[in-house]
Amino acid sequence: MANHENKTLTFRIRRYGTGGKAHEHYWQEYKVEAMKGQSVLDCLNEIRFKQDGSLTFRRSCRSGICGSCAMTINGVSRLACETQVMTLGTETVTVEPLKGFRPIKDLAVDIDPIPEKLLAVKPYLITKTPPPSDQERLQSQAERSRLDGLYECILCGCCTASCPSFWADEKYLGPFAFLKAYRFIADSRDEGEREHFEALDDKHGLWRCHTIFNCVEACPKSLNPTKAIAALKRELVKNRIG
Amino acid sequence: MKYRENVTSGGAVLWLFQRVTGVFLAAVLFAHVWLLHYLLREDLTFAAVSDRLATPLWKTIDITFLVVALFHGLYGLWIVLEDYIHVGWLRVLLYSAISLVAIAALVLGILTILPFQGEVSSIWQ
Repeated sequence: MANHENKTLTFRIRRYGTGGKAHEHYWQEYKVEAMKGQSVLDCLNEIRFKQDGSLTFRRSCRSGICGSCAMTINGVSRLACETQVMTLGTETVTVEPLKGFRPIKDLAVDIDPIPEKLLAVKPYLITKTPPPSDQERLQSQAERSRLDGLYECILCGCCTASCPSFWADEKYLGPFAFLKAYRFIADSRDEGEREHFEALDDKHGLWRCHTIFNCVEACPKSLNPTKAIAALKRELVKNRIG
Repeated sequence: MKYRENVTSGGAVLWLFQRVTGVFLAAVLFAHVWLLHYLLREDLTFAAVSDRLATPLWKTIDITFLVVALFHGLYGLWIVLEDYIHVGWLRVLLYSAISLVAIAALVLGILTILPFQGEVSSIWQ
């Protein structure tokens, strides 16, 4: 199916735990005939299906919803399924696992810290008053729209993997956990501000964010964790001082 | 992995104070440049400067500046170190070192500022 838009690209992949090298990182290169519109995930699949069945990576929905295929592509944390190879504009595409996470095999990293950090901020509606007897807890349209840009997170980990504070401290909660915490603190129905704040006001919490904005650059859903963190800092200061 | 170690870290107050002192330092810097280099243009002699420093107002300004700048700078340094140093004894060592530097610089600064008793010129009375 060769046409003038095809291009042979070199995939330079940082591998781990395969090829008889149990705990060693090494680079391996593959040539892929890429077409316009093809994603990095398509190319990785082509390598795995046709060239090297041992190449390991996570993927599931291939449409930017599940967050499984988050990896470092040309130095930036992205979703492989949402990144078109031709838009990268390089002959060599460098693919590495997410930074800061413990590698398991090739591009698959240990993502257990993601649910652990998430649960630490109690990411659910906490209420203390009983609900109205005749209806659900209702929100006005304005109250609901405050949650836009907060609830859409798919927990892919791109933000945290590109955060220098996380590189320096693996216990650092990370941008996605803050975004999720603010999603509930900003919710008009939530009454558990204190419970959500507990994990945030910690030496691995909110105050380790130095407003670097890498999370904003990395987020494949174009969300703004830094803005949510700024709002959380404001709320927490008000809570502690006011 | 444990994510909650210290519920009341006191981070909120320190974070706010670091911002407030930052704004204060920027304001003092601007005031210094505007006042001394554009408005007063005093003679660049020891006598003129020591006259000015001898007034209670300037002593108060300079000591406030000293305390705020020391806090802002050294607490800022501690924040950076805290990001990267996770070994308990090393943290204690560095925190102690920073505290010692803070105390030494504070004492040295106050000893420098207080003794000025030049002939107070009319402008500062």
